[in-house]
Amino acid sequence: MFISKLKQALICLKAGRVTLPYPYKPSPPPEGFRGKLKVDIDKCVGCAGCANVCPPGAIEVIDFDTGWRRMQFHLTRCISCGRCEEVCPEKAVTLTDQFELSTNTKEDLTVAIEVYMDTCQRCARCFKPQHPLDKMMVTGFRK
Amino acid sequence: MLTSREIIETLKTKFDKQILKAEEKVSNQVFVAIVPDVLIPVICFLNQSFSPRFLINAGTDVVQQDGKYKASYIFSFDSEKIFLCIQVAVDSTDPNIDSITPIIAGANWSERETRDLVGINLRNHPDQRRLVLADDWPQGLHPLRKDFPYDYKPPPEPQNKVLLKKRPEGTKVIPIGPFYPVLEEPAYFKLFVDGETIVDCDYRGFYSHRGIEKIAESKLTYNQVCFIAERICGICGFIHSTCYCEAVERAAGIEAPLRARYIRTIMLELERVHSHLLWLGIAAHIIGFDTLLMQSWRIREPVMWLCEKISGNRKTYGMNLIGGVRRDIPAEIHDEIVRVIEKIERETVEVIDAVVGDTSLHARLKNVGILTEEVARSICTVGPTVRGSGISIDSRIDHPYAAYELVDFEVAVETGCDIWARALVRLKETIESIKIVKQCLLKMPDGSIMGEVMEEIPPGREAICCVEAPRGEAVHYVQTGPDNRPYRWKVRAPTYPNLQCVPYIIKGERIADVPIIIGSLDPCYSCTERMAVVDVKTGEEKIYTKEEVMKR
Repeated sequence: MFISKLKQALICLKAGRVTLPYPYKPSPPPEGFRGKLKVDIDKCVGCAGCANVCPPGAIEVIDFDTGWRRMQFHLTRCISCGRCEEVCPEKAVTLTDQFELSTNTKEDLTVAIEVYMDTCQRCARCFKPQHPLDKMMVTGFRK
Repeated sequence: MLTSREIIETLKTKFDKQILKAEEKVSNQVFVAIVPDVLIPVICFLNQSFSPRFLINAGTDVVQQDGKYKASYIFSFDSEKIFLCIQVAVDSTDPNIDSITPIIAGANWSERETRDLVGINLRNHPDQRRLVLADDWPQGLHPLRKDFPYDYKPPPEPQNKVLLKKRPEGTKVIPIGPFYPVLEEPAYFKLFVDGETIVDCDYRGFYSHRGIEKIAESKLTYNQVCFIAERICGICGFIHSTCYCEAVERAAGIEAPLRARYIRTIMLELERVHSHLLWLGIAAHIIGFDTLLMQSWRIREPVMWLCEKISGNRKTYGMNLIGGVRRDIPAEIHDEIVRVIEKIERETVEVIDAVVGDTSLHARLKNVGILTEEVARSICTVGPTVRGSGISIDSRIDHPYAAYELVDFEVAVETGCDIWARALVRLKETIESIKIVKQCLLKMPDGSIMGEVMEEIPPGREAICCVEAPRGEAVHYVQTGPDNRPYRWKVRAPTYPNLQCVPYIIKGERIADVPIIIGSLDPCYSCTERMAVVDVKTGEEKIYTKEEVMKR
């Protein structure tokens, strides 16, 4: 009994101080951390592949009309699995190392982008313009 | 040794025409369809001649295909490494079936769950109360039937409340829960006590049933289910996603590359290391030994950082997909992994050395919460709980998955049957897990981490997979379906059979020991919205609803 208690005390003494000084000092996550997602509006072609694979359904695709698509990324639902990053053909979606997401307003956690697209002559639905220059020809394209 | 062919032959010679179909759909997995009338004779016969271990009972709605509900009773032949699935189809107009609980006590909850969710009524079941469905769920509505929309919210019917057992004469009631005070999780144990001694108890749980199976069957695709499977448990999530992926891979005949299997093994064992150290801390906290809590969690923390480095997240690794894993473990971090786990090994050995001789721990843990071998076998208990009672069941050996066939390790077994034995099993397993990780890092071959996955997984196939979680054995049963999603996905977490033995192991014990006895099973529930109040003067009980609580 006595020897056990001595051994236990020794373990505690050896351990020393182990808590990190976070949040007084930043504690950067390791490389490859799956944090808050970031969308590059210049790269996104609006293919909605990310919305297709997203397990919690955090990506919403709204087609306003035949050439105008809105992609909404609801970070409140996001589980940071990184499937969107994996399937994105244009590498438009990336996961950053940001993890401090607490906020007072829920709207802060919705990222929305609007993509101008070509219209299919047959089904009249949106599709990706063939060439980046074609994008500029689409009605309503803005810089 | 018994082979799958022999099992089929024996059943066919004994029951002849009453066996409708018997085939080995997946290697070492036998599926036998029988007529409902011979269910009890077949189960009795199996029990007497081979005594297989009962795993789960899964109900499936196949009304659209052939107008029937199907009940699948899954058994395990541990030393032969075979799964046997007895399937009975009952007519949808008269869904009644004989209960097997009088023969196998461990089937109690499993059968009640099938009745609640699929609506197959049980004849001769000793407990006809509802188990999984909420107290205000309408009578006659069964959520896992295919004609029940996954997002339908039925109007509440408060009169269906489950009545717990009346207290026996001469006893008092002590409620533990519904918010379990030490594990901070919802479960309600109603203890009947005579003085300090517990005479009997009753249990009500499933307050946080989330309907994961339903959403997977109706909304998600195969690869999306991997992520919801990982969220079944906050501690052993990777186990569930591995189990689901392996079950689908077996059903579809997809081969995961060897490197991916090794990576799965490494992650599973790292998860076991941190889970056991977590349990050690919680168990010590329950008995008021907070020094050990602090130290074991300090030792545990580097594993979490290691997992964060490998997978990109501390806990939900998100590494599994059908056919392989998403992230490689590059050669550059092998040294770091070895350094971290060797430090953990050294420190864990130090802790073990410091606590095994502690007589104050012996006084609290030895000869308390006795789980005898007979009870453990009849309730079909799994994991460290049963290995502390001298029964060597470990699905890493019995039903190998990932790369466990290719690594050497010992199964820790203790014969004390008490909490101390269960603690020793877990401590030994921690050390064994570290050995497995080291072996895997040495043996891991180069190559791809994702196998060839077919465009569409063919519907109508079935498979079972068992994975040894830190708490015991998780069982997943998958039946593939159309639209790129499982038709039926049945999950049994290890706490499911383990909790059923609580009434047996707390009988005759003192109230003060109940938290650590329940804690020694390493139970895992999840959130609640009600509370129970016992009026001390009259002894009357009243359960307050959420609305009443809010009003106060």
